Amino acid sequence: MGDILGLVLKRLGLGLVILLIISVIIFFMVELLPGDIAEAVLGQGATEDNLAALREQMGLNKPAIMRYLEWLSGALMFDFGSSIVTQEPVMSVIGERFLNTLFLAAYAAVIAVPFAIILGVIVALLRNSIFDRVANVLTLTSISSPEFFLGYILILYFSVKWGMFPAIANLSEGMTFWELLERTFLPALTLVLVVVAHMMRMTRAAIINLLASPYIEMARLKGVPPWKVIVRHALPNAWAPIINVVALNLAYLITGVVLVEVVFVYPGVGQALVDAVSKRDFPVVQACCLIFAATFILLNLAADVGAILTNPRLRHPK
Amino acid sequence: MSVFVIGYYALLLSASCLAAYFNKRSVFLLLFSLTLVSFVVGIVGGAGALKAIAIGAGMLALAAMVSYAFREFLILLASTEMAKELRTAPLTAAFGMFVIFTYAIAGIFAPIIAPYGEAEVISSAFAPADENMLLGADQLGRDMFSRLVYGTRNSVGLALTATCAAFIMGAGAGLLAATKGGWFDQFMGRFADVIMSIPSLIFALLMLSIFGPSMPVIIIAVSIIYAPRVFRLTRAVAGNVVVMDYIEAAKLRGEGTGYLIRREILPNSTAPLIAEFGLEFCFVFLLVAGLSFLGLGIQPPTADWGSMVRENATLISFGEITPLIPAAAIALLTVGVNFVVDWMLHRSSGLKE
Amino acid sequence: MAKEKEVLLKIRNLKIQGYSDETWVDIIKGVDLTLHRGEVMGLIGESGAGKSTIGAAAMGYARDGTRFSEDSSIEFDGMELTTATQAERRALRGNRIAYVAQSAAASFNPSHKIIDQHTEAPLQYRLKKRMEAQEDAMDLYERLRLPNPKEIGFRYPHQVSGGQLQRAMTAMAMACRPDLIIFDEPTTALDVTTQIEVLAAIRDIVEQFNTAALYITHDLAVVAQMADTIKVLLKGEEVEQASTEEMMSNPKEDYTKSLWAVRSFKSPQRYRPKDATPLISVRNVDAAYTAGPKILDDVSFDIYEGMTVAVVGESGSGKSTAARVITGLLPPQEGEVLFKGTPFPADYRQRNKEQLRQCQMIYQMADTALNPKVRISEIIGRPARFYSGLKGAALKARVDELLDLIELEPAQYYNRYPPELSGGQKQRIGIARALAAEPSFIICDEVTSALDQLVAEGILRLLDRLQNELNLAYMFITHDLATVRSIADEVVVMQNGKVVEQGPKDEMFKPPHHPYTDLLLSSVPEMDPNWLTTLLEERGVDNVGDSAAARIDPEDEKVVR
Repeated sequence: MGDILGLVLKRLGLGLVILLIISVIIFFMVELLPGDIAEAVLGQGATEDNLAALREQMGLNKPAIMRYLEWLSGALMFDFGSSIVTQEPVMSVIGERFLNTLFLAAYAAVIAVPFAIILGVIVALLRNSIFDRVANVLTLTSISSPEFFLGYILILYFSVKWGMFPAIANLSEGMTFWELLERTFLPALTLVLVVVAHMMRMTRAAIINLLASPYIEMARLKGVPPWKVIVRHALPNAWAPIINVVALNLAYLITGVVLVEVVFVYPGVGQALVDAVSKRDFPVVQACCLIFAATFILLNLAADVGAILTNPRLRHPK
Repeated sequence: MSVFVIGYYALLLSASCLAAYFNKRSVFLLLFSLTLVSFVVGIVGGAGALKAIAIGAGMLALAAMVSYAFREFLILLASTEMAKELRTAPLTAAFGMFVIFTYAIAGIFAPIIAPYGEAEVISSAFAPADENMLLGADQLGRDMFSRLVYGTRNSVGLALTATCAAFIMGAGAGLLAATKGGWFDQFMGRFADVIMSIPSLIFALLMLSIFGPSMPVIIIAVSIIYAPRVFRLTRAVAGNVVVMDYIEAAKLRGEGTGYLIRREILPNSTAPLIAEFGLEFCFVFLLVAGLSFLGLGIQPPTADWGSMVRENATLISFGEITPLIPAAAIALLTVGVNFVVDWMLHRSSGLKE
Repeated sequence: MAKEKEVLLKIRNLKIQGYSDETWVDIIKGVDLTLHRGEVMGLIGESGAGKSTIGAAAMGYARDGTRFSEDSSIEFDGMELTTATQAERRALRGNRIAYVAQSAAASFNPSHKIIDQHTEAPLQYRLKKRMEAQEDAMDLYERLRLPNPKEIGFRYPHQVSGGQLQRAMTAMAMACRPDLIIFDEPTTALDVTTQIEVLAAIRDIVEQFNTAALYITHDLAVVAQMADTIKVLLKGEEVEQASTEEMMSNPKEDYTKSLWAVRSFKSPQRYRPKDATPLISVRNVDAAYTAGPKILDDVSFDIYEGMTVAVVGESGSGKSTAARVITGLLPPQEGEVLFKGTPFPADYRQRNKEQLRQCQMIYQMADTALNPKVRISEIIGRPARFYSGLKGAALKARVDELLDLIELEPAQYYNRYPPELSGGQKQRIGIARALAAEPSFIICDEVTSALDQLVAEGILRLLDRLQNELNLAYMFITHDLATVRSIADEVVVMQNGKVVEQGPKDEMFKPPHHPYTDLLLSSVPEMDPNWLTTLLEERGVDNVGDSAAARIDPEDEKVVR
C-alpha cells in the first residue's frame, strides 16, 4: 500500500506546484499592462495626483514580489482585496455567486453523469448498429453547437412558445428548493445537453477500446453471457477511463457555465467575471481566474487519484 | 383526422413495409421506430407536431441528397486514388465537405454576394424581412443577410488564423520534443500541463481584460491557449513514430534532427495531424464565437456571428428566430468540420472496432 | 493414442470468410477434421495458414469480422454448431470445450484473482459450489506442479510469472473437465527453459483426464511431443494428415518435406586468425537504463573480422542491451567498446560518419524497421548518398547492385513501398540498407525469429553468402539454438546480464557445459517424438525450467571458472 500512498502524495504535490505557478501567471500577467493598473483604470484623462492617490491606495508603490506574496497569503484566506470599481471586498462580490455557480454545475452534473455513462455503455454494446450511427450524428451536432445557440433555442421553445419554464434565471431570497430547481432548469438543461454528448462519446470509446482485449475474448470463450462480460470483466477495468471522462467533463462544465450564465442572466461568478473584464476590474478578474483554475486542477487531481486507486496492479503490488 | 395525417402514416407504413420486404433491416428499424414515435408525438402535439416531423425529415432527406450529389461530383473531379478514398466517405462526411465548400465560397466572394455593405444602415431597427432584405434588419437597421455573409469572412478568417498560429507553434514544438527527447521534452511537457490547467475561456478572458479586445490580441491569446493542446497530440503521435526501428536506424546513420522530422516522422503523422487541425479549428471557432458573444471579440461595426447573436438577443423574447441564424451558422460549420474529422479519424484508426 | 474410437468433433467442408475490401473472402477454404475422444491433434502451419481460426471455429466461435460459410458443418458430440443458437453454443464453452490462449498475461483479467476466474465457469454452470470449486482448483494447481498450490490462486495475474500463468490457464481450462481443449500456441511467448515445464504439465494433465485436444502451433518439434496425429495446413487448406510417427518418418507432400528439411543448412565454421586485433572488442561493460537496475554486468567478448558471433540467452539476459552499447545508443556506465583496437566514442552522437558507417544493424521486425512511407529506392539509396555522396546515375546503379545482391529484381522493386512487400522481402530490404553503408560489422537482432521457417532459412543463406563475398563480421543475437548451429562461428551465452560461457561453436555444443548452457541446450525441443519423455526421465520432472535454473550450484567448477 505504501506505493499507492506515495503516488497519490506525489500527484497532490504536483497539483499544488501547478496551482502555485498559475497564481504567479495570473498575478504577473496584470503587471504586463502597458503603464500600470492605475493608468489602465483611470484612463488618459487622469491627473498625476489622482494616479498617485490610486497607486497609494492599491499599494502599487511596493515591489511586485511583495504585492504577490501579500495577494497570495490573502487568497489562502479567501481575501482577494477589494474591487477597483465598487470598492467592496472582492469576496463579498463573488462569494455568494460562486455558490450559485457551483449549484448550477452540480445540478447539471447530477443529471448528466449517470445519464451519459449509461447511454455510453448502451451505445458501446450496440456499436455499428443504426442506433450507434444516429447517436454519433446527434452527439457530434450537440458538441458542435455553441452553448448560447442551445440556450436560446431552449428559451425560444420552452419559455417563449410553450411557456413551461422561465427564461431568466434570477434567484431571490426565500425560494423553495423546488422553485429553485424550476428556475434554473433551462440553464442546467443547456449544460446537460453539451456535456452528455461529450461524456457519451468518451465512455463509448473507452469501453470499445477495452472490448478488444484478449481477456474479454477469453471470457466469451469461457461461456460468460454478454451482460456479465460487460459488468464483471469490462467494467472493473473501465473505471479509470470513466473517472477521467467524468472529471474532464465536470471541468468543462466550469467553463461552459460562463456563457450559459450570461444567456440566462444567472447570478454566478461567470457573470461577475465578464462584467469585471469589460470594466477592467483587475482584483475581481484575478480572483475569479484563480477560483476557476483551482477548481479545474482539483477535478483533474481527483481523476488521477481515482485512476491510481482503481488500478489493480497498483492496489495489489507484487 | 386530416388528409395530411392519413397520408403521413400511410407513407411511413408503406415505406417501412417496403424496407422489410427488401430485407433492409436498418432502414426498416429506422422507419418503424419513427412511426412509433410519431404515434406518441401525434397524440401529444396534434397534427402540428407531425408537420414539424415531416418538415424535419424532408430537410434531412434534402441534406442527404445534396451530400450524395456532392460526393459523386467530387469523385468525378478527383484523381483515381482520391476517388477511392472518397467512395468510403459516409454521407455525413460528404455533407461536411459541402458545408465547408459553401462557407469558403461565401467568405471569399463576400463583397460580390452581399447586397449591401457590412456597416451600411438601410432601414429602421429590427425591420422585418422584405424583398430587399432576405432576413430583415438588425438592431441598427443594417441588412442581416449581408452581415451574415461578411461575418463568414471575419469569424472564420479569425478562427483560421488563430488555429494556424496555434498549430505552427504546437506542432513544431511537439515534433521537436519527440525527436530530441531529454530535458527539452520534459520541460515542454510540464509547460503544456501548466497552460492547460487554466480553463481556456477563463484564460482568454484574463488576457483580453489586460490587453483589450482587438484582432491581434485575440489571435495571440487563442493560439497561446491552444498551442499546448496541439503540442500534446503531436507529441503523442510523433512519439509513436519515434520508437520505430527505422528512426533508430536513421539516428544511427547520423541524420540530423531536420531530416528526421521532415523525411521520417512527418510523412507518418500527417493523417492524424490533419484530423487534429479540424478538431482544433472547431474548438478555436467556438471559443472565439463565445468571446464575441460576451462582447469581447471582434469589435463593432465589423460583422461577426457571435456579436450578432448578442446584439439581436432581445428578439428571442418576441419569438423571433433572427438571432438564432448567426448562431446556427456557427453550429453548422462546426458540425460540418466535425463530420469530416470523424470520418478521417475513423479511417486512420482502421478496422479497430 | 486414440483409446476410444468415438468421434467427438467432426468438421466437414469448413469455410470461413473474412470481410476485406468490401467483399467476403475465404480465409479457410474447405477443411475437414475428425477428432476422437481422448485424441490430441496437432494443427501446424506457418502464419496465415488459418490454424487459430479453425481452433476458434471448433468452439462454434467466429471472430469479429468473420463468418462461417453456409455449407460448413461443425459437429461436436452430435450437435451441429453452425446452426445452433448463440445460447446453445455458449453453453458448451468453458463447460465442454475449453480454450487456452497464447498470451496468458493478456488473457487473464487484471481485476480479479486467478482462482475467481478459475471458478467462474464451474459456478456459472452450477457444477460445483464455490468452496468445492476452489478445492478442485488447488488440486489442479498441484497436479500442474505450480509452486504453493494452496495459495497461488489467491494472487492477481500480474503477481505471477508468465510460465506459471500459462499453467494456471491450463488448469482453468480443466475446471469443468471438458471433453475438448483448444490450445492456441500456448508456449510461443515463453522462453525455452520455461516452455518445457509448461509442455510437460499440459501433456500430463491431458493424459490424466483423457481429454481430447487441438494443439495449435508453428513449432514442429513441440507438436511432435504433444500430438497423436498431426494435420499440416497451408493458406487455409489442408496439406496432409497422419499419425505423429508416420508424419515424422515419412511425410508425403513436398511442402511437408520442405518443412522437415529446414535447418539442414550449416555454414562451415571459421576460427580466429592468430595475432589479429579483434574488429569489435567489448571490454568489461556495465550498463543500465536511467536509474534502473544493472542490465549488463562486466560483459566482455571479441568479434573478429569476417566471423559470426552468436549471442544467446533468454529474454532479459541483456543480449539486446549489449547491441545497444556497441551501437552507442546506450553509453555504458563502465568499460568501453574498441574498434580495431581504438576506443569507439560511447555515445553515437559523438561518432563521426566513418565510425557510424562501420557498424550497421538489421532488426527483428522488418515492419517497424522500414519507413512505410518511403520508396525502396530511397530506403536503400539514402545511406549510399549519405556516406559515399553518390548522386544521379551512380546512385541508381548502386541501388540496383544492392538489390541484385539481396536477390530481388531491381526494376520490379525500385519504386515500391515497404507495405507492398512480404515479410521475407522486407527483411532483405533491411539487409540491403545495412549493406549500402559498406560496413565491416553488422548486428543482426533476432533477424529470423519473426519469419516463417522456410523464409528464415533463405535469409540465413543470404547472410552467409554475403559474409563470404564481402568479408563481414556478424553479431547474431538470438534465442534460437538451431540458428546458432547453422550460422555461428563462436557463441556467447548470457544469463541475467552476465556472460556465463563463451567459445568456438564446436566446443560449445560438446560437454562439459556450464550448467546453464546445459539447461538451455537440453531445453530445446527436438523432432524426436520421445524427446520430452526421455528428457523428463533423465532429469526428473522437477529439474527442468525455472526450478532447474534456480538450482544451479554456484560452487560448480564450470561456474567458478
